[in-house]
Amino acid sequence: MRRLPVYLVLDTSGSMSGEPIEAVKNGVQVLISTLRQDPYALETAFLSVITFDSSAKQMAPLTELSMFQMPEIHASGTTSLGEALTLLANKVDSEVTKTTAEVKGDWKPLVFLMTDGGPTDNWQKGLAEFKKRRFGLVVACAAGQGADTNVLKQITEVVVQLDTADSATIKAFFKWVSASVSTGSQKIEAGGVEVGGLSELPPPPPEVNIVV
Amino acid sequence: MEAQIENKRWNFPNGKVNQEYCYEFDISKFMPEAVVETIDGLEEVGLTFDPETKQIAGTPNVPGEHKIKLTYKPKDWAEGKPVLEKEIGLIINPDPRSLWNDIPTDETIDYFKPDSDTRFIKVMSKKDMAAASKRGRSHAHEGKARDDDFSLHFDKETGWYIMVVADGAGSAKFSREGSKIACRTAIDVCKEQLLSLGDNFEREIQLFDKEKSQEKRNDVGKILYEIAGNAAFKAHKNIEKEARQKGNPVKDYSTTFILSISKKFNYGWFVGAFWVGDGGIGIYDKDTQYLKILGEPDGGEFAGQTRFLTMPEIIQPAEIYRRLRFDIVPDFTALVLMTDGITDPKFETDANLSRIEKWNDLWADLCNEVDFTNDNEQVADQLLKWLDFWSQGNHDDRTIAILF
Repeated sequence: MRRLPVYLVLDTSGSMSGEPIEAVKNGVQVLISTLRQDPYALETAFLSVITFDSSAKQMAPLTELSMFQMPEIHASGTTSLGEALTLLANKVDSEVTKTTAEVKGDWKPLVFLMTDGGPTDNWQKGLAEFKKRRFGLVVACAAGQGADTNVLKQITEVVVQLDTADSATIKAFFKWVSASVSTGSQKIEAGGVEVGGLSELPPPPPEVNIVV
Repeated sequence: MEAQIENKRWNFPNGKVNQEYCYEFDISKFMPEAVVETIDGLEEVGLTFDPETKQIAGTPNVPGEHKIKLTYKPKDWAEGKPVLEKEIGLIINPDPRSLWNDIPTDETIDYFKPDSDTRFIKVMSKKDMAAASKRGRSHAHEGKARDDDFSLHFDKETGWYIMVVADGAGSAKFSREGSKIACRTAIDVCKEQLLSLGDNFEREIQLFDKEKSQEKRNDVGKILYEIAGNAAFKAHKNIEKEARQKGNPVKDYSTTFILSISKKFNYGWFVGAFWVGDGGIGIYDKDTQYLKILGEPDGGEFAGQTRFLTMPEIIQPAEIYRRLRFDIVPDFTALVLMTDGITDPKFETDANLSRIEKWNDLWADLCNEVDFTNDNEQVADQLLKWLDFWSQGNHDDRTIAILF
């Protein structure tokens, strides 16, 4: 079976503590419960959570949606975005199956990255690693005004911004991510086509602004 | 210390409705030397806890995010002290089968086609033919029509068997009509051509059987081109005509196409084929473990590589000729034509399509539900039922045609 890998790359630096991190945890939780009810996603989507603060960690390896359990996430430390991108690249190498004559590989991974501040490490190094891999759609989300959208624009064309990192806004973002994963799994299962860009996703809610 | 443990979230591994669950719950891994007193809430979801084996087992029947109540005696528990409580999360996933809707296709749409179809052709004292086609789960979920199609024909006059399967492209609006036109046209053309060219064709086949030279092979190939190649060509043209009449682009009718013509002679079976697109066609013999794939699947990693009968480059003479195959075999268990709704779950990769083990598995699986003894009138319905086999992530339309 060709899996649809979905990587959630989440900023868990100190500035996320309190309301934002709680909202993120809640958001991921709702995302999973919603996708479990979607037969397309339930059969094909595989989920991984990578967090980054003073270092980057894979909190949940790429797991079948039905077997996924929410990892414990806490917020503290700095913003090692570069390390997160390097880790993501390495995990894609080891977890995502490539298509060969013998094996039908997975679909190209979808990535949803969320951060509320500027990177504090050598992020270009991570970016270079990241750029060497093939991804499907990559969405970067600037949570609040503190995030550097110029940095995010270099990671992906698809950058969205939340005006504030409050729980209602973060919740709206994750709802949209969930709908996007549904669309992605439906597209590949119904037509064998992968999501090509933002225009093929459901329209983002008013709280989520597209950065052009 | 105790408080820290209390705050940590506990979860049992997730389960799935209707799928056996078994987990050895060893509390000491979470809390050294603690003893489980009771676990409440398991029965409600179809599970039980056996204190002897420490196993939580059963077949969950209630989907949801359940809270299971654990009572336990901590390490330093003594008579008179209270037992402690802990809530444990248990996620039971719905059976994906229960989440799929089955919405009948609106009969008023353009080019309506029934959601399933079967056909059985009994041939006295010879091999029979059966086919079944069924709409996939993803189409059923959204009330969309079946895009696959098939046609069978046995010519009583000449003794030729003709089988066609076609898979309308998922992304093409009217592909269901493309596949239908392709199947109908192919039968008509083959019938007609076999009537006029049949004698000559059979003579060349016999000459080839005696002397398997390249020259004799080419002679058979030339007439096969006039029959099967012509069928593909006319099928393309008829689709083009329909598209033009309706003012639609031809690519809205995109379809794959697999055709076989076969006949039994006293020296063996002749099977000729033409194939465009994915899916598969093979001659399989269970006893001799003979397998011949009559062509190459047009698959590939990139979506753009898929080929359809409706593409102009496909009906160039050299390209048609390249796609023709034929073989003469003493006998066979089955000649099978399938769309990718079956080859994807059953063979997974193009490379596997030429592996005899995979065909053995397919045949064994078929024989579990379908009785292929000669003249079994139920065979097409059994085949249709077999098409319901469950395969996670594979819910395309499924069509199979078998000469057996």
